[in-house]
Formats: sequence, structure tokens, C-alpha cells
Amino acid sequence: MSLPHQLINNRKIATHESKAVTLVLITVALSYLLLFLGIPLFAVFYEALGKGWTLYWAALQDPDAWSAIELTLIAAAIAVPANLVFGVAAAWAIAKFEFRGKSVLITLIDLPFAVSPVVSGLIYVLLFGAQGWFGPWLQEHDIKLIFAVPGIVLVTIFVTFPFIARELIPLMQAQGKDEEEAAISLGASGWQTFWRVTVPNIKWGLLYGVILCNARAMGEFGAVSVVSGHIRGMTNTIPLHVEILYNEYNFVAAFSVASLLALLALVTLFAKSIVEYKVKDNGDRHPHGETE
Amino acid sequence: MSITIQNLNKQFGNFTALNNINLEVNSGELLALLGPSGCGKTSLLRIIGGLDVQNSGKIFFHGKDVEHRDARERNVGFVFQHYALFRHMTVFENVAFGLRVKPKKERHIETEIKRRVHELLQLVQLDWLADRYPTQLSGGQRQRIALARALAVEPQILLLDEPFGALDTKVRKELRRWLRRLHDELHVTSVFVTHDQEEALEVADRVVVMNKGNVEQVGSPDDVYAHPASPFVYQFIGNVNLFHSRTHALWTQQQGDAVAYVRPHDIDISLIPQQSSLPVVVKQVRAIGSVVRLEAAIGQDGETVEIELSRERFNITPVAVGDEVFIRPRQIKVFEA
Repeated sequence: MSLPHQLINNRKIATHESKAVTLVLITVALSYLLLFLGIPLFAVFYEALGKGWTLYWAALQDPDAWSAIELTLIAAAIAVPANLVFGVAAAWAIAKFEFRGKSVLITLIDLPFAVSPVVSGLIYVLLFGAQGWFGPWLQEHDIKLIFAVPGIVLVTIFVTFPFIARELIPLMQAQGKDEEEAAISLGASGWQTFWRVTVPNIKWGLLYGVILCNARAMGEFGAVSVVSGHIRGMTNTIPLHVEILYNEYNFVAAFSVASLLALLALVTLFAKSIVEYKVKDNGDRHPHGETE
Repeated sequence: MSITIQNLNKQFGNFTALNNINLEVNSGELLALLGPSGCGKTSLLRIIGGLDVQNSGKIFFHGKDVEHRDARERNVGFVFQHYALFRHMTVFENVAFGLRVKPKKERHIETEIKRRVHELLQLVQLDWLADRYPTQLSGGQRQRIALARALAVEPQILLLDEPFGALDTKVRKELRRWLRRLHDELHVTSVFVTHDQEEALEVADRVVVMNKGNVEQVGSPDDVYAHPASPFVYQFIGNVNLFHSRTHALWTQQQGDAVAYVRPHDIDISLIPQQSSLPVVVKQVRAIGSVVRLEAAIGQDGETVEIELSRERFNITPVAVGDEVFIRPRQIKVFEA
């Protein structure tokens, strides 16, 4: 491959900056990242392991910590699949069909992003709490939502439901419905079309949405905090447990448990970049690239 | 299998896409729906294929009403404008798709599917691409794979939406001759949509000219070109010069308001005035391949007339820019304005 003339002649290309400018920009960006992301991340692990591995393990093996981890996993294990089904259904409807109220549905999907998590938690308390609209009815039937596990699952679903739908809508809109129409004209049923044509086309976008949704489901603090009631060993998730430990000046334990969330973040980032790479790879096969 | 279309109407909101269409497609023929974009030709094709639903009117396949058969059940092969190949499947799997989604009791065994897919790929002369993905193919190759995929389910009717629209000129010409030959081999009733008059005239047995949701004319390519039924067809197919009766009453030979349509190659030129000839001044002379195109003005700054002469004819009467010549139409068609 030959270099363009501009480069050989050392002439300035319109979109190139001088070395000094490049260096300044990179330095600014990196120091910013270091200051706001790198140092705190380092601090979490430094504080957690500051008094040695023994205390670190002890903090993680505490029964209350275990119960918090368990509850977090349960909430994510229900919220993510629920939003997977909802997200695919909503994106499918929005991208492939024209119907009345479509823009209202799109706005509603964005709602949890627009509302503060604390407010979303409060909405659930107002609806299902002892003094709430459905409170008396729930008490009569001996159903406990608020200050109990079901409430935590509900708000987690609410807070995370835009992630998968938001990821899929633009993707499915860009892909159009030609392939689905082709499948149907070839005699495929609705389910066959969905599983054989639609799902394979969106699988990487879907996985990307699932990863983001999961990270948020496990890390959510505000909304869960409002409905949980902070009952130790019962209704504490990992983020809530960290807060309690910290408020009790139990720093080693607080940071040890927090390091789990930090690890989750790192794993998420890693998985995300792999998926991003795959998505790019899929889209990059050039129309006329005859190479193999 | 023949197709009969009766009083078909389609509205999108206030827009009338199809206005009371009546049409007969004969069994085994290759029919072109020709018209400018937005004339309703694609809507008509999609409704025949069951991908859209008409507001009123009926469609019969071989005399049978297909109203209650959706796209799955119509046994129609549809070739999409942008091919709509399944991007995550190899060429082989694309063609095999229609065979694999058949209900269990109708489905062939794997070796039979393999045999039939390779047979189809040979038919479209692309057997060597079986393991490629659609994105690794050129436009012309994709179009042929899309056709092979549509033929895999042995459709009774083949519908093609702008089949050559996205290809460059040379590939387009090759591919449409190939499609014509293929049709002569298979004799599947086929309808294709195009906005390219040359394509329609070259490939089709019959041409349906459409405009603003109406059928303007149905006829053989020759018929449509030589005997346009309306001013629209005259203008849409081939170049044409317009002469208004007010200024050129001599030619229109009509009392009222009328317009005379004359094709550029139906105009004779001479250097001396003749009976009912018109003096014009040559403004431009362009030799394009085997023909010479002249642009001339009637009177001072008047209307422009396009004249097309064969090279031999031009050599007999060579004219240059600025010359005054006399033109006379050999053939003329008058429509009331």
C-alpha cells in the first residue's frame, strides 16, 4: 500500500493535528481517566487487601455478606431474563411493525433512564407499601412486597428494563424487515422466522444488552435502598451491605465486599469489549471483499 | 399458473397507491410492471405476493381466490430489490432455507436437500460459491442467489422487485438476458417491476405501463413503443418532442387544443423547404455511437426540438451548428390537450 502524497511530502492533512496538540489531548484524557477511574479502582482493592488476605476472606465469608451476594444474584437472575423477553418483544414490535402509540411505547421504555432511581423506588413504596394504594389489599392476602425480596426484584426489573430494548431497537430498525419477509415468502412460520432469521441477526446486540443490564441489576443502589428496609441477612444486596459496613466504620469488610462489585465491573468491561469486537467483525465483511 | 386481478384498490392514508387495477397475467409469461417511482408497481407486486393486503378487490391464481392465503401459503417466489439474503447463512443455507422450513412430513431428507440446492446453484451458475456468505458476493452474484433461493420451493409464480435496480449498467444488461433465457427454460409465470423502459422492452413478453396508481397501457413491448395509448406512455417510453396545436396547427390538423407527439428519430431534415416543413436553427450536434443527435430551435429562441439521425443519414445531409434546416415528421401522434 502506498502512502498518500500529503504524507510523503510532510504536508498537513486537514484532519491531522501537530504532535504537540496530539500529546496534550492524550495526556488530558488519560489523566482524567486516572484521576476519576484508575485511582478509585485501585483504592478499593488497596483498602480491601490492606490488612492482608485473611481479613479479606473473613469479610467475604461473613453470613450476612453471603446472604447479600445471594440476594443480588437472585435479583439479577430474575430481572435479566425478564427484561430479555420484554426487550426482544418490544424491539421486535417497534422495529418491524407500524402501530398506534408506538412513540408512547418508546418514551415509556426510556422512562427508567429519565427518572432518578430513588424516585422509582419511592413509586413502588407508594403503590405497594403498607400505606400505599395496594397496601391494604396485599396485607389482607398476606403478600409482602416492600421491605422484602419481591420488592427488590420488582425495582431491579424497573430500573434495568431499557437496557436490552434500547440496544435492540436501532439494530433491528437498521436491519429492516426484508429478511423476515423473504423467510415468510419461502414458507417459514412466525416462530421459524424468529429463531432462524431474526435471532441470529441480533445475537451480538442482544448479548451486549444483557451484559449491560446485568451490570446495572447487580450494582443498583438507590431504588433498591428505598424498598429494601436494610434488614441484615434478609433484604440486603451487595451495594446495600457495603453501605452498612462502611457506616459502621468496618472499612476492610466494606471494601472487601465492594471489591466484588469492582471485579464485576472489570469482567463486564472485558466481556463488553469482546462483544463489541464481534459486532464490528460481523458488520465489517465488505460487500465486494472476495477474500477468504 | 395465471393471475387475475380484479378491481384492486390500495390506499396508504390519503394516498391512493392503486386505483381500481384490472389485469390478467397469462400462464408462463414474463410480464413487466413499468412506471416511474411511486406509481404503485411495487405495491401491486407485494399484494400479489401476499406481503401487503389490498383495501378492496380480488386476486385469483388459476381461477382460485387467494384472499385467505397469506404469503406463506401462496407458493410464490419473491425476489427482493436489495436481495434480502440471510446475512448469517452461507449461500448454500440461503438456498436450502425454503426446503428446511417445510413441515416435517413434507421435508426432504438431507441428501435430497443437498442435491437440489446444488442443482439450483448450477442453474444460476454459482455452485462454486456455496460456502461463501452473502457479504462476500458481488451484487450480480447476490441477485442470482436470491433467485435460486426463491426457485428452491418450486413456486408457481415468480415475483421480482426491481431485480436489476441496484446493479451497474454492464452487469444489468448481462443479467437481464440471462433472466430471459432462464425464463424460457423454466416457464414459471413471472412478474417483474422496473422503472427502466429499456429493461422492460428487452426482457418482457408483455409490458404494463403504470402511472399514479393506474394502468395506462398493457401490450407487447413493440405495441407499447410504437402505439402508445396515452400522452404519459408516449413521454415515459422513449424520447419525444411536443408540438402544440396553437403554434403548429399544420401538424396537429385539429381545431381545438391538441398536442402532437413526435419521436426524435421520426423527424426528417432537408436543406430546402418542403411541404409542411418547419424551419429550425441547429444549436448542437452530438455524435453518440451509431446515431447523431441534433438540437434545434424553432424560430428565434424558440422551443427546442430533438432530432436523431443515423450516421449514414447524417453523412448525406451534414449540418453544422448555426445552419438553418427544414424538419418534417414521418410519424406523428396527436392527443387532445
